[in-house]
Amino acid sequence: MRTGNDLTTGPIPVGQFVNLVRKTLRQDKLFQNQVITGEITQWKRHSNGHTYFTLIDSDGQINAVIWQGRCSIDPLIEEGSVVVVIANLDLWTKAGKIQLVVSKIALVNKLGVLEERKKQLIADLRNEGLLDRPRLELPTIPHHIAIITGSGSAALADMNRLIDNRWPGLRRTIIGVMVQGENAPSEIVRGLLAASKLSVPEIAGRLDLPPVDLIIVGRGGGAPEDLWAFNLEPVVRAIVASRIPVVSAVGHESDLMVADLVADLRASTPSNAIELTVPEYDYHQMLNMSLLERLDDAAQRIIIDSRKGLQLLQSRLVNAPLRGVYNANQRVSELANRLSNVVADKFSEERQQLHRFTTTIELSIQKKLADETTRLAVLNTSLNSSNPSNVLHRGYSMITNKSGSVISKTEDLIEGQQIILALADGRAKATVNDIEEGDKNE
Amino acid sequence: MSKEMSYSKAIQRLEEIVQSLERGGIPLDETLKLYEEGAELLTFCQQELAAAEGKLNEMKLADIESKLSE
Repeated sequence: MRTGNDLTTGPIPVGQFVNLVRKTLRQDKLFQNQVITGEITQWKRHSNGHTYFTLIDSDGQINAVIWQGRCSIDPLIEEGSVVVVIANLDLWTKAGKIQLVVSKIALVNKLGVLEERKKQLIADLRNEGLLDRPRLELPTIPHHIAIITGSGSAALADMNRLIDNRWPGLRRTIIGVMVQGENAPSEIVRGLLAASKLSVPEIAGRLDLPPVDLIIVGRGGGAPEDLWAFNLEPVVRAIVASRIPVVSAVGHESDLMVADLVADLRASTPSNAIELTVPEYDYHQMLNMSLLERLDDAAQRIIIDSRKGLQLLQSRLVNAPLRGVYNANQRVSELANRLSNVVADKFSEERQQLHRFTTTIELSIQKKLADETTRLAVLNTSLNSSNPSNVLHRGYSMITNKSGSVISKTEDLIEGQQIILALADGRAKATVNDIEEGDKNE
Repeated sequence: MSKEMSYSKAIQRLEEIVQSLERGGIPLDETLKLYEEGAELLTFCQQELAAAEGKLNEMKLADIESKLSE
């Protein structure tokens, strides 16, 4: 090739000249692997896969290209982004245009850009009323928890250990996803979708599981960028869309994610999520037992008290005036009948239902009811045997005066007095002829 | 019992029943009704406790997705 000093052979064809310039540029180390910063304008991702843009600041500008697949491009980069690139200067000979061929591109102040996006997302969510929407109620005792987090992570190990301390063998499905990096947002969204499907009774039933009734999504602590998936719109929207309660459990206490703002419950850490949602088995078993004991004690005392009441009625009956006898007798047998009927009815209903479950608690309830029924039956029998009309059937009769007071002693009688005899099937009037006082000790 | 019954509601109602039985002064057939309701609620609570027992399934995202699409 001729050089510029060779004037003897005539003019250089322009293409040759441009190629000469290109060669010179590419040989100068100053223009290769240079680190350059500026703002992006005319950002264009071409359908051929290459990306074209212009790097500009107040003092100048230059075209740049990123060949397809040559370097990864942060999805946050857009028109107006301030970036730093590593690039070689090159000349596009066909157009005679100088351009940077970029081998690396990164956002300047990425965290600042992310924060801006986060603020914007929060503002959007607030405008849509999603931050103040009513939250779903968490189950007191979750029957099936779905945990969406990094498989094999320390956070997962912590959560599993805590669950087994609080409620050994609590049913859970762990959905292992990427929680950081490029694929994290889409995997977390897919994990939430899978958990939502598992909350549909028919779908869960096909896998022989009760439906998921609680979702915990999160990860352990890390650098802000590592947690960032939980600030991204797709993840946040997927949490909002869930039909079952979602607990967000990301990082440490101080990390507040957009996911935290929309979740049905925010846990400060993954471990905290377990403390907030998994009850303690022992506590609830003891609560059940103590309620059972109190229920039984109270019922037993009431039945004993009413039995005493019946006995009292029974003993008063013996000395009751005749007119009251029938009424009292009626009341007592009515009461006794009602008691045994109600107990028997309830008992048989109860038994049908209880037979389906044979835990110790149900068995003890059955036994209690059976005891009370037996006791009432015995009581009923003894009441019947002392029924005054039964006594009259055995040949005894009861004497009253005209006003109906029972006469049981000769001292209450006077000769010539009209008395009334109560017999088993009726009454008779009689007159006292003679009074013989017997031995008072008899 | 209503299908909408939740464990916490059941416990709350049980507490009410036990307290009114403990206070006493209720007619006998009402007492038996309350007792029956209490026994039913306790059965429900025991079922709830038992229903939470299950196994731990741990699956990669892709595995659970393929299982769900079966």
